[in-house]
Amino acid sequence: MFLTDPFFWEVVISGLLAGVMYSLVALGFVLIFKASGIFNFAQGVLALFAALTLVGFMDGQVPFAHVINEALGTNYHHWYETPGGGDGAPIWFVALSIAATTAVMILLAWLVVKVVLKPLVNQEGIILFMATIGLAFVLEGVGDLMWGANIKVLDIGLPSGPSDWIIDQTGMFVNKLEISAAVVAVILVVSLTLFSQYTKMGRALRAVADDHQAALSVGISLETIWWIVWSVAGIVALVAGIMWGASSGVQFSLSLIALKALPVLMLGGFTSIPGAIIGGLIIGVGEKLFEFYIGPMIGGATENWFAYVLALGFLLFRPQGLFGERIIERI
Amino acid sequence: MAGDTARLAEDTFPKLLLRNAALFGDRPAMREKDLGIWQTWTWSQMLEEVRAFSLGLRALGLQAGGKVAIVGSNRPRLYWTFAAVQSLGAVPIPVYSDAVAEEMAFVLKHAEATMAVVEDQEQVDKLIGLAKRLPKLKHIIYDDDRGLKNYDHTTLHPFDDVQDSGRSLAKADAGVVAAWEKHIHEGKGSDTSVILYTSGTTGQSKGVMLTAERCVGAARDTVAFDRLTETDETLAYLPLAWVGDHYLNYAQGMVAGFCIACPEGPETVAVDLKEIGPTFYFAPPRVFEGLLTQVMIRMEDAGALKRRIFSYFMDVAKQHGEAILDGKPVPFSARLKYALGNMLVYGPLKNVLGFSRIRVAYTAGEAIGPDLFSFFRSLGINLKQLYGQTEAFLYVTAQPDGAVRADTVGLPMANVDIRIADNGEVLFKSPGMFAGYYKDKAKTKETLTKDGYVMTGDAGFFEADGQLKIIDRAKDVGKLKDGTLFAPKYIENKLKFFPDVKEAVAFGDQRDKVCVFLNIDLTSVGNWAERNNIAYASYQELANHPDVLATMEKHVRQVNADLAREPQMAGAQIARFLVLHKELDADDGELTRTQKVRRSFIAERYQPLIDALYSGAKEADITTEVTYEDGRKGKLSARVKISDVERYDVPAMKEAAE
Amino acid sequence: MTLVDTLPAGQREVLLEVDNISLSFGGVKAISNISFDIRVGEIRAIIGPNGAGKTSMLNVINGFYHPQEGTITFEGVPRKRMRPHHAATHGIARTFQNIALFRGMSTLDNIMTGRGTLMKRNLLWQALWTGPAEAEEIEHREAVEKIIDFLEIQHIRKTPVGRLPYGLQKRVELGRALAAEPRLLLLDEPMAGMNREEKEDMSRFIIDVNTQFGTTIALIEHDMGVVMDLSDRVVVLDYGKKIGDGPPEEVRNNQDVIDAYLGVPHE
Repeated sequence: MFLTDPFFWEVVISGLLAGVMYSLVALGFVLIFKASGIFNFAQGVLALFAALTLVGFMDGQVPFAHVINEALGTNYHHWYETPGGGDGAPIWFVALSIAATTAVMILLAWLVVKVVLKPLVNQEGIILFMATIGLAFVLEGVGDLMWGANIKVLDIGLPSGPSDWIIDQTGMFVNKLEISAAVVAVILVVSLTLFSQYTKMGRALRAVADDHQAALSVGISLETIWWIVWSVAGIVALVAGIMWGASSGVQFSLSLIALKALPVLMLGGFTSIPGAIIGGLIIGVGEKLFEFYIGPMIGGATENWFAYVLALGFLLFRPQGLFGERIIERI
Repeated sequence: MAGDTARLAEDTFPKLLLRNAALFGDRPAMREKDLGIWQTWTWSQMLEEVRAFSLGLRALGLQAGGKVAIVGSNRPRLYWTFAAVQSLGAVPIPVYSDAVAEEMAFVLKHAEATMAVVEDQEQVDKLIGLAKRLPKLKHIIYDDDRGLKNYDHTTLHPFDDVQDSGRSLAKADAGVVAAWEKHIHEGKGSDTSVILYTSGTTGQSKGVMLTAERCVGAARDTVAFDRLTETDETLAYLPLAWVGDHYLNYAQGMVAGFCIACPEGPETVAVDLKEIGPTFYFAPPRVFEGLLTQVMIRMEDAGALKRRIFSYFMDVAKQHGEAILDGKPVPFSARLKYALGNMLVYGPLKNVLGFSRIRVAYTAGEAIGPDLFSFFRSLGINLKQLYGQTEAFLYVTAQPDGAVRADTVGLPMANVDIRIADNGEVLFKSPGMFAGYYKDKAKTKETLTKDGYVMTGDAGFFEADGQLKIIDRAKDVGKLKDGTLFAPKYIENKLKFFPDVKEAVAFGDQRDKVCVFLNIDLTSVGNWAERNNIAYASYQELANHPDVLATMEKHVRQVNADLAREPQMAGAQIARFLVLHKELDADDGELTRTQKVRRSFIAERYQPLIDALYSGAKEADITTEVTYEDGRKGKLSARVKISDVERYDVPAMKEAAE
Repeated sequence: MTLVDTLPAGQREVLLEVDNISLSFGGVKAISNISFDIRVGEIRAIIGPNGAGKTSMLNVINGFYHPQEGTITFEGVPRKRMRPHHAATHGIARTFQNIALFRGMSTLDNIMTGRGTLMKRNLLWQALWTGPAEAEEIEHREAVEKIIDFLEIQHIRKTPVGRLPYGLQKRVELGRALAAEPRLLLLDEPMAGMNREEKEDMSRFIIDVNTQFGTTIALIEHDMGVVMDLSDRVVVLDYGKKIGDGPPEEVRNNQDVIDAYLGVPHE
């Protein structure tokens, strides 16, 4: 029986942990979609941009150094050396860098609202979607120019390597980094839920998601709400970027995880926060199990397409997703 | 706790209130949900509120023997009013809050009420409208001030103001409180405690006078019977003016010292029930029926898996639930399944209904379907039946735990003496028996036998196990030509317990056999037809369908089999029946507005059908005038089939053997 | 009762003045040169046949639309261009013709959102959900409970409003508008689609709001019986123009108004 096989559980756990990453990205999508009806194509790039910025701060990189040096013939690279040297940066420095990056993400959200969303208010959803595609390209380009295109190592001092304790207890290999990713994700989701259920702002967010006109009539400013939502999505992206970057380095392929979030959303529904979480976990576990048990029979590399096929199946039988609102158009 | 002799000294409700404040001072006495939050008053707080109001009433001129009308829904302040009025030796008179002005005028005038304590503007308006006809009514006191701010306040007082005046009196002179309490201790058990007016459905309403010692005495017996204590809790949602509420909540609450919770409003009862989770509960059968329907509708909407789990465990409950509840031997495997069911189905279900903590629940008022009754019992709810009357201050009989049946109303309560008259009418003497109708000696005399028993107007008999069975109104019970007892409603109810039988009308008085008219239930039978692809255009067509007739015949046979098992009723089995070609309708005068059949009117209107039933014909033609929904009249003709039904042998009289 | 309440509506202080307003959408005139005022404590009805520009008028007062010409003076201050969500902070609350509620939220939460403009604590306090923010939330919750009590909707306190029947949704929407403690309450067809009994209930609530809280109310309504019973003064619009203004009985006898309602063709 495979249920007693520790290897099966190892696959499941690694799937769950990969799923957490998908969930995090999907969560950013859901937040923005609920509040503004915009499908934010740039969510993946947001994660990349956040990770790049964090690395930049940690390394003391001078932004746009490449452009400046090219134009002025100078040779700037770094403002400061990372404190702590080879032993990893001290906690205060990591915290400071994360805080600075958060500020950048909030500033970025403000810019997006002012420059992209506000001029396009009351436009068709498809136009806003196109605008986010444009935003994705712009951000990718700006990130490249600011911090350079090379693969970077992001080490904020999270524990990594297999957990000895779990090996001793069960014989399974589980990476500590993945466990911390899961813990951080849980904390994030719980605090988001509390925020949206129990605070005035959260209530305002839900209100805007439900009815724009009514929200205006009770004095809720759409712009402010959009700013908050994009900021939150930026912070979620930062977390996703940190986790992903810590395990496989910060590189431009990071923006592609956004594509994995798509099947997650189809599974979980575009408007459901729990849907995004559970959809991510299902896809994570599903693709790992499929790859491991069925993959060898059909030539492997199933992880590339399994999620999409699963999502397609869902589209056929439950188009609103597991948790999405059933849409009944009344004529 | 104080000794029994000391406790028996409390023979009025105000005395009990003083006792409760002393014994259970910090325990909750009342709860009310206000602005979304449950507010609680302890017994000592309640005593203070009652005292303040009582002193305020006295300042307004209320004296011993005065009458105070109480109109409104279940609000703590209205309950306090009972005690506050009784403390002064005056008499509270609760009036149905939905009574039309005419009825209200009658009661207040008849009772000579000088004051009225009412809930809100609606009642104030009603009373102001009646002011000319009620010259004796001097003061109106209201609880909720909404919309009343601009009214003339010469004879109108907010509840708070009356309490405030009482409080300032108590503050000014400490002797006032002592004197008030002394006055309570001087109160006699023979004083009239309350006058409850019967609702005027059967003629003019009558004021049932109940004395304090009898009220308290009756409540003591039932509190002991169901072992109610100060830790119990009820939700008061029944009409304040109904004997059931006054007994179950006010009287038992005072005697046992338990807590009464008042719902936020009539629409919130279901939610409040869930939040409070009462331990003692009463509801008439139709409330239970409504709850069951709600549960079933919710299950229809549930997913397939949920539905399967539900139906599986409901089967388990049906099989073993009641036996487990009654503490009878049950195989271990069944207990295990039941425990699992309790975790998955019964527990959550009871929680949703607000029945999680129920220790004792009662139903009464009309016959309850055996399936309905079993459903709630099998969930582990200790639902029992009682039989009562306003004239008895509620309880006459009740079912003890472990001896519960759907078709009886229980054993005589402690100290209740029951006799069955020659015509089958149930007569009783009880501790809570009324002292007479207020200002109506003639009616009082009419209701009592020469040796002082109360005539209930209900016909019934005792079963072999000593439980009383109520079969019909005494005046409706007749005899077949051979002298067999014929109780039409008893037979009709048995038929109506089948969900696809809407109405039944039984004939047989002074005839040689019993015959019935049936109405099918269009919704239920229509559903069946839909499932079986049977097309029908009208009620008439469906009612005449051979399969429907066959089902009806099966039901009638089942009823006959049931009747055959009961020695007293076995002779009155149904010989023939027909399914009417139209639904009985209040617009045609066939039903009363409360949906009760008007047997004699129907007999006259359908004379040809009755003739056919008794002539042995196989079918009959009938033409009736009908009123359509828009008021037009038309004629409806039909040919109706008549079926003979097998009757069962009457088993030899069992009593002889036992 | 204050002295103001004893004055006939026409002589009270002006709360809002609409002066020579014109509004057009891409060349189509919705409102032309309309002037009228709303006085403190009155119930002011805006009536007119379909397409008369009533809702547009409400949207102008509310700041949803910006008139091309004319001025609006609220509480003595001429209004500059206003953002839609600022109406609420300025003390103007409204309901909509086609109920605009937050369907996924409970009755309680819907009404709570109405308190938004009265909540002082900033985002950080809110996020931390500590001391002062919590105390404030409790205080607002109490105010909301009073509204729930006032509108007799205790039984649906926790029900998501999307599941409620139409009449109750209208009531919740009124509750949300009341929660803002507005000085001017705009009601866009509060009784549309209601049966007799529901209309009576709603009328009673509107009158109670006006008398108990002293709220000034401007309402659009089609049911003439209701308008005549409820309102102190009526302004009549037809094809974007004002054709009548005055107490109900006066307006009822105005020939232009009668013509407009009977459909006399416009030359």
